[in-house]
Amino acid sequence: MAFVSLTDYEPIVGKQCIEELYLLAEGLKGKRIKMVNSTAVGGGVAEILNRIIPLLNDLGITTLWTVIKGGEDFFEVTKKIHNALHGEGLSFPPRMKEIFLEVSRENLRYIDLEQDVIVIHDPQPIVCIESKDRTHAKWVWRCHIDISNPNEEVWDFLKGYVEHYDVALFSSPRFSKQLSIPQFLFFPSIDPLSDKNRDLEPEFINQVLDRFHIPQDKPIVTQISRFDRLKDPLGVIQAYRLAKRYTDCRLILAGGGASDDPEGELVLDEVRAEAKGDPDIHILSLLPTSSLEINALQRASTLILQKSIREGFGLTVTEALWKKKPTIGSAVGGIPAQIIPNFTGALVHSIEGTAYQIRYLLSNPEIARKLGECGHEYVKEEFLITQALRRYLLLFHVLSHPGERIIFL
Amino acid sequence: MVKEGNPFYFYTSSNLVELTGERADTLEELLTILKQCSGSAIFYHVFQSFRDRHFAIEKYHSDFAQWISTSLDDEVLAEKLGALDVRDFISIRDMRESMIQVIEHHLQEHPACKERTGKTPFFLSQSISVAMPTQYAVRNLEGFCQVMERVGVFSIHYHLVEARLRLGIHTNDFSYWFRTSLNREGLAKKIEEIDIYLHPLEEIRKLILRKVQEEIRT
Repeated sequence: MAFVSLTDYEPIVGKQCIEELYLLAEGLKGKRIKMVNSTAVGGGVAEILNRIIPLLNDLGITTLWTVIKGGEDFFEVTKKIHNALHGEGLSFPPRMKEIFLEVSRENLRYIDLEQDVIVIHDPQPIVCIESKDRTHAKWVWRCHIDISNPNEEVWDFLKGYVEHYDVALFSSPRFSKQLSIPQFLFFPSIDPLSDKNRDLEPEFINQVLDRFHIPQDKPIVTQISRFDRLKDPLGVIQAYRLAKRYTDCRLILAGGGASDDPEGELVLDEVRAEAKGDPDIHILSLLPTSSLEINALQRASTLILQKSIREGFGLTVTEALWKKKPTIGSAVGGIPAQIIPNFTGALVHSIEGTAYQIRYLLSNPEIARKLGECGHEYVKEEFLITQALRRYLLLFHVLSHPGERIIFL
Repeated sequence: MVKEGNPFYFYTSSNLVELTGERADTLEELLTILKQCSGSAIFYHVFQSFRDRHFAIEKYHSDFAQWISTSLDDEVLAEKLGALDVRDFISIRDMRESMIQVIEHHLQEHPACKERTGKTPFFLSQSISVAMPTQYAVRNLEGFCQVMERVGVFSIHYHLVEARLRLGIHTNDFSYWFRTSLNREGLAKKIEEIDIYLHPLEEIRKLILRKVQEEIRT
């Protein structure tokens, strides 16, 4: 990834926004920040840290990154904890806790705690808080996952650690919990300069559609998601069919996750069977490296769907809104935080509702255009990486002024 | 001759949204929250949260009315709450009491609304503001206009909306300065009369500029 400076974002977010970030950073120069997570590559957390840490350093805030180490057994346990926080049933026997605690404590021996703020990402390194008394640092737990319906036994175990932190950060109001510590809203973000979101030349978009044999002769409705039942691809096809009885259109279902996931392969087969050879349904199994292709497919679309049954934050919705696409999303996970009904998009609760919104928006292009415009502006205000940076800067100020509701710099 | 007063220092602000962990799924639960929550939570949901959607005008500016409309589908109550005029209140406490009265009255008339579950929950939040000085300070109306043309919209929001927390619900920093430093009562009132909910912040910038330029001409 090429080094990106904060000023590279100025043409996108405006001079005033960048100036305000520099103003906010002014009193924080020289602060030492440590980010701790469990992986350096792959996954959304590593991706955002890879992008935001250079920007913090660019602002004069010394930010370091430590990745905790662990064997297969440790990461098996943390994977189970992760799934349990998503609500999966799990017995949490003493041996699992022992592995989790032993490896966590071993890691603590190697983490430099001489910092002003230590940000622990997700549950894997959560036990680091046991070292709180050894430092003057403020401790922050950044939870990236949906813990709105967790396995109670696992959550109770983790909560005992969470409440020792100074603050907790959640990606959506619906992921927050009743806690004895302050908690703040930290929306996830997208990078407008990344391959998945940057502007593309129309010629490139046309090339991509030609390569996938997708004619641009009628409106295109698209869902970008891995082939997973929780993304309800079969429901998407049903909604498309209901809508197509009134308004002719094409459907693109594109995503990864099939090549390395046996269940993904199964779902892909089900989707192909449900499509029943309809030439207007285009099913594309993409590689994880297909960011530019996904970008092109989104930009070529007339409407974007995210008809998930369950969802994390739903950054595919953010990406669609950023591209000024009228977007229809289910009222699950972080989607309602992004789609304000009839303002930044359409929020739906059923296949029938999805079909109706497809018909409505394809028949009312001016309303669809207005939704897309507002969605784009809303992403600019809330969900770009510059906003994530702003929230971190604000957080560092708030940690230095405990109990104050208005902080004057 | 250009009339000069004490300098007006332009500030700007950013907000960090604090989640209280409290939520309402029904109107009855929302009423309970309204009775118990902090004044700063009321201020956030009525005055601050729309700042992040400043580029357009929604049907209801208040998050409470917006949720009742879109999640509970109770348009009658949403309209009644949405119609509450900020200028009729002298404090956040006063405004809270009125909102509670409107909802309680509605529930007396339509008791079935009490336990109807919304499509999405209402999550109670409040915010912490970090205010910082910009490079701009002015002493007269001409200088004010020059800065007003270029300052960020969050600075306008800070002086026009967030100021209500410091100065009182009816006024704002611009009016305070026009009144106390430049002795321009008429202009101060005109700025106080701007309906902050009916215009995106960029339009409010133009409205303020127009009113100040008219004042300069007279």
